Amino acid sequence: MGLSRRTLLTAGMAASALPLLPAWSQAAAAPRTGGRIRVAGMSSSTADTTDPAKGALSTDYIRHHMLYSGLTEYGADLRPRLALAEAMESSDQISWRVKLRDGVRFHDGKRLNAEDVVFSLTRHLDPAGGSKVRPIASQFAEIRATGPLDLTITLTGPNVDLPAMLAQSHFLIIAAGAKDFSRPNGTGPYRIKSFVPGVSTIVTRNEDFWKPGKPYLDEIELIGIPDEVSRVNALLSGDVQMVIAVNPRSIHRIRESGAHEMLETPSGLYTNLIMRVDGGITGNPDFMLGMKYLFDRELVKRALFRGSAIIANDHPIPPFHPFFRADLPQRSFDLDRARYHFAKAGLGPARLPVYASTAAEGSVDMGSALQEYGARAGLNLAINRMPADGYWSTHWMKHPLSFGNTNPRATADLVFSQFYKSTAAWNETGWKNERFDRLLLEARATANEPLRAQIYGEMQEIVSNHCGTAIPVFINLSDGYDKRLKGLYPVPVGGFMGYAFAEHVWWEG
Amino acid sequence: MSVTVDEIKAGKAVSPGWVAQLPLSGKLGLGLVIFWIATAIAGPWLAPYDPGAFTHQDVFASFGAAHWLGSDYLGRDVLSRVLSGARYSVGLAAAAAIAASCTGTGLALIAALAPRWLDELLSRFIDTLISIPSKIFALVLVAAVGSSLLLLFLIAAFIYIPGAYRIARSQAVNLAQMDYVQVARTRGEKAAYIAIREILPNMLHPMLADFGLRFVFIVLMLSGLSFLGLGVQPPDADLGSLVRENISGLGEAAPAILVPALAIATLTVGVNLLIDALPRRHGSKEG
Amino acid sequence: MAASPTSSESGNAFLLLLLAKRVASGLLTLFLVSLVVFIISGLLPGDAAQEMLGQSATPEAVAALRQQMGLDQPAALRFLRWLAGLLGGDPGFSMVANMPVADIIASRLPNSLILAALSTLVAVPLALTIGITSAMRQGGRLDRALNTTTLAMVALPEFLIATIAVLFFAVELRWLPSIALVPAQGSFLDLLRALAMPILSLSIIVVAQMARMTRAAIIAQLGLPYVEMARLKGVSPARLVLVHVLPNAIAPIVNAMALSLSYLLGGAVIVETIFNYPGLASLMVNAVTSRDMPLLQACAMIFCCAYLSLVLIADTVAILANPRLRNR
Repeated sequence: MGLSRRTLLTAGMAASALPLLPAWSQAAAAPRTGGRIRVAGMSSSTADTTDPAKGALSTDYIRHHMLYSGLTEYGADLRPRLALAEAMESSDQISWRVKLRDGVRFHDGKRLNAEDVVFSLTRHLDPAGGSKVRPIASQFAEIRATGPLDLTITLTGPNVDLPAMLAQSHFLIIAAGAKDFSRPNGTGPYRIKSFVPGVSTIVTRNEDFWKPGKPYLDEIELIGIPDEVSRVNALLSGDVQMVIAVNPRSIHRIRESGAHEMLETPSGLYTNLIMRVDGGITGNPDFMLGMKYLFDRELVKRALFRGSAIIANDHPIPPFHPFFRADLPQRSFDLDRARYHFAKAGLGPARLPVYASTAAEGSVDMGSALQEYGARAGLNLAINRMPADGYWSTHWMKHPLSFGNTNPRATADLVFSQFYKSTAAWNETGWKNERFDRLLLEARATANEPLRAQIYGEMQEIVSNHCGTAIPVFINLSDGYDKRLKGLYPVPVGGFMGYAFAEHVWWEG
Repeated sequence: MSVTVDEIKAGKAVSPGWVAQLPLSGKLGLGLVIFWIATAIAGPWLAPYDPGAFTHQDVFASFGAAHWLGSDYLGRDVLSRVLSGARYSVGLAAAAAIAASCTGTGLALIAALAPRWLDELLSRFIDTLISIPSKIFALVLVAAVGSSLLLLFLIAAFIYIPGAYRIARSQAVNLAQMDYVQVARTRGEKAAYIAIREILPNMLHPMLADFGLRFVFIVLMLSGLSFLGLGVQPPDADLGSLVRENISGLGEAAPAILVPALAIATLTVGVNLLIDALPRRHGSKEG
Repeated sequence: MAASPTSSESGNAFLLLLLAKRVASGLLTLFLVSLVVFIISGLLPGDAAQEMLGQSATPEAVAALRQQMGLDQPAALRFLRWLAGLLGGDPGFSMVANMPVADIIASRLPNSLILAALSTLVAVPLALTIGITSAMRQGGRLDRALNTTTLAMVALPEFLIATIAVLFFAVELRWLPSIALVPAQGSFLDLLRALAMPILSLSIIVVAQMARMTRAAIIAQLGLPYVEMARLKGVSPARLVLVHVLPNAIAPIVNAMALSLSYLLGGAVIVETIFNYPGLASLMVNAVTSRDMPLLQACAMIFCCAYLSLVLIADTVAILANPRLRNR
């Protein structure tokens, strides 16, 4: 009992702490050192940043993982591993003792100590700091250095997932007092060589990186190519060696070229239809169910994503997740049931506007499909395609019907507490389910895995049946790369190996 | 100089035989224009499928019996989508181009004959609008006010007025200095008479040529807007949007992208061929 | 009736006066542009703080960031401050990029100017040649061929042309890079190679309009009595068009050119996007998207200046070539 209540994450725990590489990557020849590659992310603008706290887009996350390291990091199995932390333990999931790795140096030569970590984590609480993860960081009650390499993180409530939470790029460690990010100073695998927002980031190998033998490449140039067709063409023409976020329609072109390969990562990324509880008819439980039956998930998977997706069941936990509940009946396309529920909800002939945007991947086409089938089930939908520009601030969650898009989260707790807890800032549907809220807190305090699986299982059922969110599929993350680039494996929290490819890959060209 | 005016009247009056008098390129242009106008009007009724319906299992399918022009990136019928998309490109772009050219020409005539301060004021205001890049201007306007059909029409017209104005003004100012206009002035003709009877007919042809291009630009601007993620609301799409949304089919030469591209090309080339071949007042030697 | 030589003294004085007047009215236009940008951007949903926080915009985070960025001040006040700063030569500070606007512009403007200049060098001679040739052969086979070619060139969306060019020259043949990466150090040839496809795409777009306007303007003159007279006198066709007709037709031609060339800066947004070229047009779209007002205004000012200079050049050329326009 006492042991199971105690969460321990140390380098000694082989099962969860060693990198779990796929067999083929271990069988390959030893990594080669040297080489220069150029990789393309999907965005680049003057808002590009080297401040981890302000990272807004995938290109930022990639840049930050090149320059900085975190206390923990993600592996292929979605479980956190230790990185700058040598040990992280807690008996009550509230007070966490962290011991830092000794001998880690920043790019400017300064030694990593507990003060750096305290500074790096505490700054997220400053309202004027512009941190993207302030709502998550609000769990920090106190962070205190207890020695040169020791610190204690005290939370406002128990959270067994703290190690996983800290592996996000926003919580990467910077030097204490760092304010000027034009010369970023981290402990990461690469040092900055040049950084021009909206144009490119060039990094060179950090010879003093704390992981022995790593990284392998001499230099990486990270650029952003927002246009997907251009991005794929740049890969195929040999101008870049790896591209993120390949449209499923381009996959066969990349494979056909012979010189390129796809890294497909099943993920928890989803685009969902949001039905607000306060939106009139959209708050009607029968209307919600009708809409969920109206989704032709097979069509969405086949036509919109060309099979590069996994069918979802109207809750945010993907099938490969350790806590996925397999015995929950899969909802499928059923016009009769949709019609029945719409009739029961008293749906009239009035046009219901639904807001979609390219900002939420695939939402415009999903809307078109719903409109098409809806017409046969007595539903009159009007699609309002909004510019990606300003979509999140003005339309997302602001209308009775709108589409949202949620990036993969490493833990069930993160996605549930950020999007489904009744008090969450992004409680998209505005629902309030007391049982769900109670279970969420209970799971955080529970270290016993089977018990947690049971709790999260019930939460999946509640969301699937009672929450106004319709999640048709989970979208695979698709990266294209030059075959001479080695050492890649999928990490389901994001493209480019959970954005952290830089330290793992090598070039055989 | 009144001879000139008579000539125009004569040129315009010969309507019965004017089609026969068109050069081959003009007849071709006329044919294309009539074809597209007919398609724009009748297209939605001719479409074999609902343009929004997912009717094909495969995406980017090639030509076939059930789907003559194959399927698009979602497995929708390309023929139906082109037939129902034509009216946006033809109707919206033509209406906006006409509005822009007429307004621009009208303002230019006013500027050419009005007191200098009014000319100055108009020109400064037009300069202001024209110096903001049109696509970015459109992007901002659509983001600010929305993109219903009426708004798209107004935005497109508004954005292309300044260009038409500048071209027209330079013509009008030039013509206003011509001897026969000066003669008309000394004759004591009203400004409106001079503008409509003496200046307008002589700038008609360059303005028509400009109109043809402006029409092309608006068709292309709509497609440019769809490139930036705006434009006509789905599941409807103008021809440019059809090209844009199927661009990933380019590598496999799917009809889904070739057909709308060809449609735009024939539409815009047709309009311009016709305009080029229209009889003009000087009656070129070759006829 | 052709351009008759005037005394160069009065001509110069006239041009100086024109220049002075243009600078004054140019300043007025610039002010109007900034006002229009200010008003329209006020209609845009959201502000820089909201856009920066994106999906993570909670009301309190937005409020805090707004205060930090100075967005809690009234918009009009911010505009006036910006205007005052500009008059003092300071285009302001971009809170989004956390950099002075001048620095951002300085890194992008040369790129845009290079691309525009090279495209002009390709497009203008080409357009003049096409326009004049087809006007001289009006109705002939060559005219029709040139006409159809220029039409076909504008008849397709530019993103399609650019994408086809990339597929062909970069992906298939691998002759040219698919993205225009400006070499930090490299010869002029490297630059040309990197920019070849953007130049091609941009030239195609602007050549058509310039060529067609040139043709139309010259043809409009060809039917006038003075041309007939010159022809009867036995002036050779080439000399007739270049010496007698062109000066009279120059006003609409140079005006069309000014318009087309200003497109090379601000209209290059799609070409910049497809070739991932860090120019001013995509920077301005960026500024719109992130609601970065000082940056947006600076871009608008630059485009306006470029346009005004082009128009001034056009008018000067027109007046030099056709003295009668001086009365106006």
